[in-house]
Amino acid sequence: MEMNRGEEKAKASRPWRFFSRVFQTPVPNPLRRLSAGFLTAPAAGLLICMGLALAAGAGPIDLIRTIWSGSWGSAEAAINTLTKMTPLLCTGLAVALAYRAGLLNIGCEGQLTVGALVSACFAVAGSRLPGFLLLPLTLVCGAAAGGLWALPAILLRQWRGVHEVISALLLNYMAIHLCSYLVSGPFGDGTAMGRTPPIPAWAQMPEVWRSGSLFFTLAPLIALLLCFGAWLWLSKTLWGFEARSAGTNFDAAVNAGISASRWQIMIFLKSGALAGLAGALEVCAVHHRFYRSFSPGYGFDGLTAAFLANGSPQWLWLSTAFMASLRSADKLLQIGLNLSPNFILVVQAVLLLSVVSQGGIWRQIDKFSSQARRSSRKDDSTHQPDRAVTG
Amino acid sequence: MIQLINLIALLLAKACPLLLAAFGGLLSELSGVINFALEGMMLTGAFAAVLGTWVTGSHWMGLLAAISSGAMVGAVHAGASLKLRANQIVSSIAVNLLAVGLTGFLLNQVFHVYGTSPGVEALPSLSSILPQTGVPDNLRRFAQGTSILVPAALAIGIAVTAFLRWTVPGLRLRACGENPEAARAAGLMVRQTQFIAVCTGGALAGMGGAFLSIGELSQFVENITQGRGYLAVAAVILGRWRPTGVFLAVLFFGCGEAVSEWFAVRWPSLPNQLFLVIPYAACFAVLALYTGRRRPPSALGRVEH
Repeated sequence: MEMNRGEEKAKASRPWRFFSRVFQTPVPNPLRRLSAGFLTAPAAGLLICMGLALAAGAGPIDLIRTIWSGSWGSAEAAINTLTKMTPLLCTGLAVALAYRAGLLNIGCEGQLTVGALVSACFAVAGSRLPGFLLLPLTLVCGAAAGGLWALPAILLRQWRGVHEVISALLLNYMAIHLCSYLVSGPFGDGTAMGRTPPIPAWAQMPEVWRSGSLFFTLAPLIALLLCFGAWLWLSKTLWGFEARSAGTNFDAAVNAGISASRWQIMIFLKSGALAGLAGALEVCAVHHRFYRSFSPGYGFDGLTAAFLANGSPQWLWLSTAFMASLRSADKLLQIGLNLSPNFILVVQAVLLLSVVSQGGIWRQIDKFSSQARRSSRKDDSTHQPDRAVTG
Repeated sequence: MIQLINLIALLLAKACPLLLAAFGGLLSELSGVINFALEGMMLTGAFAAVLGTWVTGSHWMGLLAAISSGAMVGAVHAGASLKLRANQIVSSIAVNLLAVGLTGFLLNQVFHVYGTSPGVEALPSLSSILPQTGVPDNLRRFAQGTSILVPAALAIGIAVTAFLRWTVPGLRLRACGENPEAARAAGLMVRQTQFIAVCTGGALAGMGGAFLSIGELSQFVENITQGRGYLAVAAVILGRWRPTGVFLAVLFFGCGEAVSEWFAVRWPSLPNQLFLVIPYAACFAVLALYTGRRRPPSALGRVEH
């Protein structure tokens, strides 16, 4: 993600360079490009996870079948997965956007929680407003709250040099405890359930499609549109270029006259706002209220999704679909295969580790194979100019 | 007087896990490797301590298991960030996620429960090494409420400080973090030094985790660390990468946690969450208000090629 396009392509070709060297055949171009971020490392990670599941007594075929039937196997499951995808798209986009500007927003969890609480409270308090005004304002409120909750972290980075990961994590814990207090006290619905009153019906997200008890709201479409817009903005506009340049080479950007630290602040606020919007969308489209321990880890899921997509908004739909499938299959995994829901977290962590170290893995393989070539060349004395292994 | 003794015992009990983890983090950060993975190391240590005690029946073996598992987590982080040159922050976060997932997964696989493990024998308190007679009552009372790991943690803190300040390997370790190229030119094995530093840091953090599970309690609770690893990282930053500074920062955070618990017992009618938030809020406020001159090690987070 931090490298320029040329280097990215070089990295993409690395697995296939190894492949062609072994099998002495050229590799078709589309395959090379596919292997860039998606396929190689996650495949290795998934193999590890399958081994773990096997050790726990679940065969790989069963595992894949269970995950499939739990996530896309029926209409109900597919809608559930799509519903789970919505917040992941937003938080994934939040992380990806911040990462392109050279920041790591790990505070999505807290920003989402604060955004959800504020939007739920706003929708309840502003129930006199007409529907066409209430819903957009609710979403804007949630986004603004998320952005504000991200503000201290980025200011601390700019003023005091404290890494934004630490301050954002502290803010996460504060957000979760504070919201839990607010919702069981001042903003609660008076029961001991720790939840706000339900939001009025005209603040709920309109349905696009309904059949029986299954329905499908506008929320996933909004999230997808946001991703599309972010891709356009990031890769096709001058602003996007300036924001990215703050991430690729901060000093060069400053020397070129780009106010890089201002861009970083702006992007981080936007990132927080996206996470807050994820919370607001959850409130408006799914739960219709805020309750205690609102987020089941959407922030960290978004982080993994963003890294799986190599930080590109245009591929987020694929990586979030994957993460959401895992999430929505967790109940079935628990009932059918007796795997605890924590298994999903393990999968996620192994994927994250393998994605961030995939460059290094291929570098190691290159090193071995070039060493092997060099030693074999000593035997038969045919001389070829040696291409140095880069990296 | 009794109240004061109880408060000091509580403060030490809260500060010592943080102390162990923060000094582990200090070792690794001074050698030039960013270590936000302390949370994962502590969590793994806490689980391994209970597992080791449960399997072998001896809490000392549990402590050993915690230390070695912490070192193993350190090896994962060091391997990913040094050998495979992964982004050290993302690798730390992945390691933390892995620790949360794996401890929960294994808790279910081994003990067939969710949330809380069955109880095991905890480490003895300090009073087990006191002589039977001739000890003032107050001291005895203090010793009864204090785990045996408290003096061990303080000793380790002093040892690490001395190691970094006065020994040649300590100087070499700091050299790797300040200027790896120069260190290599001087003939040091930079990667190996960093690897060992991160693993040792992991071992210390694992011990801190054991303090939580078989020192304070006698069982493992899912996500028992509750962000203490991140507080330890914050302590390293707040202490400006100096042992004495880190020690003071840890004492401060320990105070925060002790005060939070003290208040919660004192005023049970007030909502619990307001007290829970105190350590994090205090940490955040101090990070925001405190300005110091010391900068991090120059080569922190950079792996030489």
